[in-house]
Amino acid sequence: MLEIKDLRVSYGQDVILNGIDLELGSGETLAIVGESGTGKTTLGLSIMRLTEGTVRGVIRFNGKDLLALSDNEMQQIRWSQIAIVFQNANNVLNPVYTVLNQIMEPMVEHGLKSRDEARDRTAELLRYFGFPRDRFSAYPHQLSGGEQQRVLLAMAMANNPELLILDEPLSSLDAASRTEIGNLLRETDKHGAKLVVTHDLDTVSKLADRMAVLYGGKIIEAGLTRDVFSRPRHPYTRALIRAYPNMTTVKDLQGIKGRMTRPVSGCPFHPRCTQVIDICRTKTPHLVWSEGRHIACHRGGIITLLSTKNLTTSFGSLKAIESVNLHIEAGETLALVGQTGSGKTTLAKTIMGLHQPTEGDVYLENTKVDNRGKDFYKRVQMVFQNPGESLSHRLSVLEAVMEPLDIQGIGTDEERKERAIQVLGEVELPQTRNFLNKYPHQLSGGEMQRLAIARALVLDPALLIADEPTAFLDASIQAKILKLLLNLQEQRGLSMLYITHDIAAARKVSDRIAIMLDGRVIEEGPSNEIITAPKQGYTKNLLTAASALHSTESSGIEQQTLNSQ
Amino acid sequence: MHIDLKKEIKESGPGRAGLIILLLMIAVALLAPVIAPYNPYQQSTASLLPPSWNHWLGTNQVGQDIWSRLVFGARTSLLVGFGVGILSTLLGTIFGVSAALLGGLYEKVVMRIVDAFIVIPMIIVVILISAYIRPSILTLILLLSLLSWQGGARIVRAQALSLKERGHVAAARSFGAHHFYIAWRHIVPDLGPVLLVDFIYSVRRAVFMEAGLAFLGITDPTVVSWGMMMRDALSFSYLNVWQWWLVPTGVALSLTIIGLTFVGHAAEPVIEPRLRGAEVA
Amino acid sequence: MFSKRNLVAYAIAFLFILVLNFALPRMMPGDPLMAIYGDEALIAMTPELKAQLVERFALDKPLWQQFGAYFLALFQGKLGYSYYYNAPVLSVILGRLPWTLLLVGTSLVLSTMLGIILGIESGWRRGSRTDRAMLAGLMSLNGFPDFFLGMLLLIAFGVTLGIFPLAGALTPYSGLSGLALVMDILRHLFLPVAALTLAHLANGYLLTRNTMITVLKEPYMLTAKAKGLSQRVLKYRHAGRNSMLPVVTQTGIWMGRVVTGALFVELVFAYPGVGYLTYEALLARDYPIIQGVFLMVAISVLVANFLIDLSYPKLDPRVSYAY
Repeated sequence: MLEIKDLRVSYGQDVILNGIDLELGSGETLAIVGESGTGKTTLGLSIMRLTEGTVRGVIRFNGKDLLALSDNEMQQIRWSQIAIVFQNANNVLNPVYTVLNQIMEPMVEHGLKSRDEARDRTAELLRYFGFPRDRFSAYPHQLSGGEQQRVLLAMAMANNPELLILDEPLSSLDAASRTEIGNLLRETDKHGAKLVVTHDLDTVSKLADRMAVLYGGKIIEAGLTRDVFSRPRHPYTRALIRAYPNMTTVKDLQGIKGRMTRPVSGCPFHPRCTQVIDICRTKTPHLVWSEGRHIACHRGGIITLLSTKNLTTSFGSLKAIESVNLHIEAGETLALVGQTGSGKTTLAKTIMGLHQPTEGDVYLENTKVDNRGKDFYKRVQMVFQNPGESLSHRLSVLEAVMEPLDIQGIGTDEERKERAIQVLGEVELPQTRNFLNKYPHQLSGGEMQRLAIARALVLDPALLIADEPTAFLDASIQAKILKLLLNLQEQRGLSMLYITHDIAAARKVSDRIAIMLDGRVIEEGPSNEIITAPKQGYTKNLLTAASALHSTESSGIEQQTLNSQ
Repeated sequence: MHIDLKKEIKESGPGRAGLIILLLMIAVALLAPVIAPYNPYQQSTASLLPPSWNHWLGTNQVGQDIWSRLVFGARTSLLVGFGVGILSTLLGTIFGVSAALLGGLYEKVVMRIVDAFIVIPMIIVVILISAYIRPSILTLILLLSLLSWQGGARIVRAQALSLKERGHVAAARSFGAHHFYIAWRHIVPDLGPVLLVDFIYSVRRAVFMEAGLAFLGITDPTVVSWGMMMRDALSFSYLNVWQWWLVPTGVALSLTIIGLTFVGHAAEPVIEPRLRGAEVA
Repeated sequence: MFSKRNLVAYAIAFLFILVLNFALPRMMPGDPLMAIYGDEALIAMTPELKAQLVERFALDKPLWQQFGAYFLALFQGKLGYSYYYNAPVLSVILGRLPWTLLLVGTSLVLSTMLGIILGIESGWRRGSRTDRAMLAGLMSLNGFPDFFLGMLLLIAFGVTLGIFPLAGALTPYSGLSGLALVMDILRHLFLPVAALTLAHLANGYLLTRNTMITVLKEPYMLTAKAKGLSQRVLKYRHAGRNSMLPVVTQTGIWMGRVVTGALFVELVFAYPGVGYLTYEALLARDYPIIQGVFLMVAISVLVANFLIDLSYPKLDPRVSYAY
């Protein structure tokens, strides 16, 4: 019923919407998601031709191009076939007329009802939206925020519009009202179409079957709401969901690096994207259909960085790891959780090439890895368990960090030194000459581990394998290291394979968790699913036994032996 | 504040025009003895003459040269206008700022008086008083000022109240400054634009009043006033002397007031920035 | 916010007027009776009458008793006696009052209503040529004093073109009645009302226009437009209604100006209202009349302002009485 093609809106020199395509059918609810300033409100307003900017493109409503209509024709369509619920703010309603009056007005003015009919319908609408009966003659300034929102909703529904545009309909409400109004909205007018414009992901999940994410004046991902939420495929969408606190979030909140800017050319997200390649800077990607989703990305969305297929490594007759199928996407953290002897470290070393697999393959960006040359190690790096051992006591701090650069022969001596110092800054270690000349035994545990991480980062890898990086550290230092890793991920788009026995720590840094037992991956999935709804008994045991500060003595936590089968 | 008053006025078409008119009038008033060929009080037998080379605007009923009287009339209007403007704005500032700063009973009393006087029509009071007292220019200025400072006081007080809450005032207070210092150093300078607009409108009102009162016959007999000239011209309206007697005088008076109106209007966005916009050429 | 504070202000104003009226004649040097009645009237009085008046005004008693007597007399509606007109002041004034009411009332209503409509239209088209022309035009018109406008109209339409009469409120001794009388009155009323209305048109116009400009930026205007309402409804029902509010507040003050203006206009057109009466009294030094007029006018303006203040909350639901 609504079809938008290549909609462009600009105010003078500022381009707000840069080619929007979308479709909406009867009975559907589509959410346009974007942060402030992305132009989502403008999108809603331009459908009704209420913006003051220059509008180009096609907006087809029931077959008619709205942008080609005369002012008179548009005026008739407004509020009779398309209505909008504005964001609830002060003075959205005229202060000198009663609530009743203002809701009746569009019914009467469009000639659709007589005054008496209008009054009855108004009463019906207000009742439906839970507005108290005795307040019909109230004035806007006498209403609370929640009451005003209900009035706005009732007013929009006055003439039963086919298309309803809602701008942040739930954002100003308290939790209870949100659920109530959310339900009302879903039930209301199932034949009509609704377009919800919002920055609030909770609103999206409550109201919309489909969602489209707006960034930089373009739609960058669109699909069914539950699909997009469970598996976002555009880096921005993923980052947005990661930044949003809700009851199912387990991973710590992360921001998106950089600030929203409008690059002159190429993909609008490229200055902040962590998997950017050359073409992203010059050509704007189109919104294409791929695997049940619309996505606008030159790389087809978040790419799979590393994957293993049927990986098996045996030491003699002992199968240390068996038939392991894992994948790690760009910019995500996969936590590998298991007890000592479950094969986690073996898996890590196999991926790194320190052990040879007896069966199966490792793929880096969909290319099989046979020989691991310098190029491989430029992309995948590892931080070992014990920094005391992995750092040579002969090399100073600076030398240790520079070592990978020296081995790879990158840049001049000066450049390597500069790069090394820069990386030290990233891991929040001092960059003073004094510090650079220290030796590992002069450093604390935390400092050593940071040093190890710095050394792993100096080649600018895409994947960091961290094997129990905090095992030898105190709790407070552990927290800092975890935060550091999250920061690095945010800034560099680093992928991580985080190996640990501690599922509590894992949940704080990982997007996905894989549980290993006796060389096999027995369960794997998104972190919040594993934590809240584990399927395997072993996983459940792990969770129960995990460090909980507040354990109930009376009910008694069943401490099952973790070595049982 | 951040808005440049001079720029505001200069950039507005009407504002520019108004400024030019005003400056012209001031120039005429200052140069009166130079550009008036005759003594404006000198009567002669050449009465009710039409314009000629000798008398550019003809003569009135007692043979006085109208052009000379017109030119000297400018002095009266502007003198009274600016006199009242200055005094009235001064009083308004003093009472407005003091009311805002001192608050309490003082403020209540002052504001009630202000409210009371705003409602009373000024002219009626002046008429009453002048029935008993023969006004001289000075008394007139004084009287009009006493009756017109209240409008400005209200605006000044409102502005001072908001300025009072600013950070730098609180800081000064914390150094132990007393009211007078705060008023003088922190509040009055920021009042500049508001005061200027109030001043312009006070002048305008005073010019209007002076002419009106003179029209009624309430004026200092030792000066020439446009209002008085118009009053004289009225009695001869059946003759066509009005063309060069009434009209130039009325136009001169109206132009002066219009000039002040335009300048005042151009300066208004200073107080209410939302008014700024597409209306000026 | 409203009544209590204003009530006090009005009371103070009232007191001021009374005191002024009372004090002025008594502050003059010389015989207070002369100051009250004027020397010309005094000549006509007999010594017995003088003694009576001295007693009536308690002129030989202390000041506060005089004020008491004065106040009392006022309450009884005794505004004094005019020797010039040979009638009680109150009746003289009341005889002239209807004409002034007609003049002032009509002009006030016309200038306010027209001003509001022009202001709405101008504000709606802000920045356009029409708006700028109207703005410049009305501001210039505002610069013309009412008496000058009156004189111009008189000369143009009365003297030169002869369409309208030159003086008076009706044609004397014409014996007209019914519709013809009404038409006669209207013909005499036309120019004075025109002068007053034009002179004060800008008041309502400027204020409405300014308010319109701010109102049009309010969110509810976008809401109204989204409702698909016609231009007319947007302009008047939504924007106009909100822009009118400050005008109502100011009407009280404008009334004072129009009343003042009526004074001059009546003079120019020899219109037999209270204004013209004042002028005559000034010439004749008939102090009782002058005082009586002053009192009446000042108090009427006060009362009108008070009534307007009372009615404001009915128009703006956001405001309520704070008793």
